[in-house]
Amino acid sequence: MDLLLQILVNGILQGGLYAIMALGLALVWGVLNIVNLAHGAFIMLGAYISWYSFSWLGLDPFIGLPLTAVLMFGVGYAIQRGILNLVARAPMFNTLLITFGLEVVLTYLAQLVFSADFRTINPSYSGRNIDVLGVTIPVVRLAASGLAILLTLVMWRFLLHTRLGRAIRATAQNLPAARLHGVEPRHLYAVTFGLGLALAGAAGGLYGTVSQINPYIGATLTAKSFAISIIGGLDTPLGVIAGGLVLGLIEALTTLYVGPTFADVASFGVLVLVLIVRPSGLLGRTA
Amino acid sequence: MRPLRIPLILIVLIALALLPLYGSDTIVQFGISTLLLAVLAQGWNIIGGYAGYPSFGNSAFYGLGAYGVGIAMVQWQLPFAVGLALGVILAVVFAICLGIPVLRLKGHYFAIATLALAQVMAAIVSNVELAGQNIGLVLPPLNDDALFYELSLVLLVAATLTVWWLTRSRFGFGLIAIRENEEGAVVMGVDTTRYKVLAFALAGVFSALAGGIHAYWITFLDPESAFDITLNVKMIIMAVFGGPGTILGPIVGSFILSAISEFLSSEVTSIAGLFFGVVIVVAVVLMPRGLADVARRFHRTGWRYFIENIRMHRL
Repeated sequence: MDLLLQILVNGILQGGLYAIMALGLALVWGVLNIVNLAHGAFIMLGAYISWYSFSWLGLDPFIGLPLTAVLMFGVGYAIQRGILNLVARAPMFNTLLITFGLEVVLTYLAQLVFSADFRTINPSYSGRNIDVLGVTIPVVRLAASGLAILLTLVMWRFLLHTRLGRAIRATAQNLPAARLHGVEPRHLYAVTFGLGLALAGAAGGLYGTVSQINPYIGATLTAKSFAISIIGGLDTPLGVIAGGLVLGLIEALTTLYVGPTFADVASFGVLVLVLIVRPSGLLGRTA
Repeated sequence: MRPLRIPLILIVLIALALLPLYGSDTIVQFGISTLLLAVLAQGWNIIGGYAGYPSFGNSAFYGLGAYGVGIAMVQWQLPFAVGLALGVILAVVFAICLGIPVLRLKGHYFAIATLALAQVMAAIVSNVELAGQNIGLVLPPLNDDALFYELSLVLLVAATLTVWWLTRSRFGFGLIAIRENEEGAVVMGVDTTRYKVLAFALAGVFSALAGGIHAYWITFLDPESAFDITLNVKMIIMAVFGGPGTILGPIVGSFILSAISEFLSSEVTSIAGLFFGVVIVVAVVLMPRGLADVARRFHRTGWRYFIENIRMHRL
């Protein structure tokens, strides 16, 4: 019973992290209609930025998070403005291929620059735990998960109540109408993609505090983010949080009852299962 | 140009078939891997190029084909041909089981559902005792590069003839209709899901055969090498670079890119991978219909061709 409780807590903590991973993908998908296959690779990049600012500048990974996010925003703005805007009106096939190409570039660049070694971000408090009712909660995991959910909610407030957020949502709903109201799409697309990558960067920084980083984590993380997005939907971050928690719990239970090597298989199974049950996707109105 | 095309292809084919007589061992070995990559690119062309459904996980079929041969030859002591057949059966069953739920949906669902396929298959296979788990299988050695070369060439010819058949059959026209306008295809009476699943399975058959030949040639397979993720990258880029949805484009693409990548990886290994990524980004922006389209239109438009492509698709 204690073991099960512990596993459930682990799953929920992991789920918070998954939520912020998926949020960037869901935002870019929902607004720009780009399914960003390089999303996981950008999470990987964010994790490395966080790792370097921790081990070179001695910056605490949680305090360094805004730096990572800002840098990733810049990267995202430049990529959308310089590359992705060039194929914005091309068929979906082309945008899928180009983001796949970006994923390949990022993975090999990371291998070249950062080497294939596994890395972890280990602040001094990384071994500390809290005991609640016989369940051990690692402080770092709790902080990462809590921060991830907090950031997800902040993002939602931003989209709902700021001028820029409204412009982004308007563009997602109707590009010509948004244009008529003075939205400059080239800039706005770039800002949205930048925000998506800032979220990916933050997710990567948090990921690095709880898991190992290497250049090859990208594809799996993209697939997981996608699974979460279609479970939770693109409409509200609450859906993404729910999707993240569901996936975290399923993986934790699979690890306990089937075996740790099957955790990735389980998340893939969930993805296919959702597609079977709800062939139109679980996306709600943006589908 | 056009009347010369078929004799030209035959001459190239004969020259390729006779390569083991005049080429060195290194050339023949390079030839085998290039031909097998071209088969993969041609297989991808069926589902990605003709049906317009980009699969990012075709190396799963390659791995299934490899394991079909491995299991049949090592565990059951059956001949190579039976192993190939087993691999093909595995691939077709897999394509149908995955394709029916996922291919009912539109493009990007399928694309991402296939994205992690290779990793998932590797994770599953490394738990299967029959497949040698993590340790892998060691096949009986057969030291006959010329034979493997000719087998690969025959397979490439078969794949290419199949693609040629697509351009003049009801089935192929159905796939093209799906690519161009799926709702329209439904209205015209194309059973889109069945067509897409069949195309996926057909792509799987050729990929599995390539995997089977490769496994027997290398005489060793384990989950990591059989479900090699980089193969997905290579086959897609070769097909897209050469010209998706054309008969010869993927072959030309894989010959050119294999040669460049062979040259680059003799310098630094990861440079070759980086090169592939850059090629796909640049190709999608400048020549989304591949070399085949450049060859058709470049003499008329000149360098404006590339600018036109950008102008057509940019925001």
